[in-house]
Amino acid sequence: MSEVATPSKHAALATRITDACAAQGVVGNGNPQALAALESLPYPTTRQERWKYTRVTRLLDIEPQATTSGPLPEPVLAGLDAHVLTFVAGQYVDGEILDEGPDGCFVGPRSVALERYPNRIPAHPTDGFATTEWFAALQSAAPQDGGCVIVPAGQRLERPILLRHHMPSGTGVAQPQHLFLIGDGATAEGIIWSDSATEAAGLLNGAITANVGDGADFTLEIVQDESGELHHIGHHHFTQGANSKLTVRTATADAHWLRNDLHIVQDGVHADSTFHGCYLPNGQQFVDHHTRIDHANPDGRSDELYKGLAADRSTAVFNGKIMVHKDAQRIEAYQSNRNLLLGEQAAMYAKPELEIYADDVRCSHGCTTGQFDREALFYLRSRGMTETAAHNLLVQAFLAEVLDGFREEIRDYVHAVYARRLGWS
Amino acid sequence: MLKIENLHARIGDTEILKGLTLSLGAGEVHAIMGPNGSGKSTLASILAGREDYEVTAGNITFDGVDLLELDATERAVAGIFLAFQYPVEIPGVSNINFLRTALNSIREQREEAPISGKDFLAKVKACAQLVELDGKLRDRSVNEGFSGGEKKRNEVFQMAMLEPRLAVLDETDSGLDIDALRIVSHGVNSMRSADRSFLVITHYQRLLDHIVPDHVHVLAGGRIVHSGGKELALELEEKGYDWIVDAQATEQA
Repeated sequence: MSEVATPSKHAALATRITDACAAQGVVGNGNPQALAALESLPYPTTRQERWKYTRVTRLLDIEPQATTSGPLPEPVLAGLDAHVLTFVAGQYVDGEILDEGPDGCFVGPRSVALERYPNRIPAHPTDGFATTEWFAALQSAAPQDGGCVIVPAGQRLERPILLRHHMPSGTGVAQPQHLFLIGDGATAEGIIWSDSATEAAGLLNGAITANVGDGADFTLEIVQDESGELHHIGHHHFTQGANSKLTVRTATADAHWLRNDLHIVQDGVHADSTFHGCYLPNGQQFVDHHTRIDHANPDGRSDELYKGLAADRSTAVFNGKIMVHKDAQRIEAYQSNRNLLLGEQAAMYAKPELEIYADDVRCSHGCTTGQFDREALFYLRSRGMTETAAHNLLVQAFLAEVLDGFREEIRDYVHAVYARRLGWS
Repeated sequence: MLKIENLHARIGDTEILKGLTLSLGAGEVHAIMGPNGSGKSTLASILAGREDYEVTAGNITFDGVDLLELDATERAVAGIFLAFQYPVEIPGVSNINFLRTALNSIREQREEAPISGKDFLAKVKACAQLVELDGKLRDRSVNEGFSGGEKKRNEVFQMAMLEPRLAVLDETDSGLDIDALRIVSHGVNSMRSADRSFLVITHYQRLLDHIVPDHVHVLAGGRIVHSGGKELALELEEKGYDWIVDAQATEQA
């Protein structure tokens, strides 16, 4: 069936979203290139390869309402000693600002950073998707507040930074923009925690941008724990310098409808990227992880591992593109995507894409989708475990490879969410 | 304790057990020997509740309970343990977590309180010593990267932890060198008691030098065709199975 959206319909949506964002508050000016792109780009349809399994027609009907400013949400990861900034619907509400002056570290909302240090941060911190992808252009046209972390060359932030974004009840809209500028040889750890009220609906169209300098070491843990009928599109873009090390872990703990676009560009030699993710949709949920890494320089390495389960009537999508450019000799790129289907009506669409233009590289990819190993189930049951206990243990084991990479507090939290949602506990 | 009467079973369209009758008393050790393809492993699988097999006739009672009415979990709760011929590797689940989950699952179904952490660890230590399983193997993922001998020792370790009333050992000697055979046998022998029975399935007599059975049965063509004392194992080792199988065929003809 065709899903033709008339130009007026998606242009009207763009106007509604940008107006709503402007009414709540945007940070800085919209990216002029994104604004232009928004005029000319078509609205995504399932006839486009990148949106083949991801129906966005339903988003055209979103009529954002002003969400009421209720009480602040309960803290997350309360036991963790972290530098916390809290945002609600694209606005900064509370947190601990660190400002060491024009040459020092800065941790605070982007709105404050832009006021105090307009020259230290880019005016439009988005990637190429902002001119090629409709939703990325929309985000960049009306960017709202988010965390801004600046770590100058050679410096190190001892405590992790927790940027928490909350969507309140109601049909809201938010376009938060988080920004990390990790200088040459600098070290930092961040957590981006995205959650919502149980009655949240509408659209969360957010961006995370990180520039990781030469020899820098940056780790980011992304947790998505949303309920209600919220639609979430995430544009996660990372640029790495020479000899830098980047680790990105993404846990989709709960999501009604989610699309993540993760893009890593190795912009220098000997860059090292690890990106792992896990997901577990159930009910009629939809979770889509699109990833892309550009090996644009020689001697880089990348390790990608995404694992997930689809239960009930849910749908999961994984698309992993590895682009090895002509000059990217001697790179090593490994991609693995493993899926389990837990429901007869669950669907999993998995697609690895390798484009290799260099001739001396080591690349591998593996993609599997299966069901529980019956022999393992029998083994566990023959030791006295109930079917539920055996399933629980096998799911834990399946996800451990990804979840164990997170810090303990997050691993335990996400596991508890999975257990609750699948009725294990 | 265990009574098998006229058991017929098939997998798909292939009939494997064709009227097997066998009875085990409490505290007894019975060995089942027989040529390849005679149905030895099928018997073990059916006792443990593997669902691939269809029982078409006959019955099995365990302490008077109809075993065929119980699923694999319920049989373990009732006290049946199968030491697998090919123990399954379960990456990501530590041996310890696996055993704690199994033990507490059984206790819960028996309406007993979960084992305390202290008691559990003490038990792990004692049972691991029994089969000389070192700390590394206890903490590793279940059977992952274990050698053949380590897997079999791990089976006996689990058996010691779960303290079954009936243990079925399915070719536990296969793939074992002489040291591992000695260790595994020692583990089994130290678990022998007046209220625990063993069904030892093996192709070779050498295991029975270490685990000395009370009774030896020959399984051929899906039936027990001959039974005797421990000396029967030696006779089979010397003469092979043909004389019994042939005699049986003549008798039937």
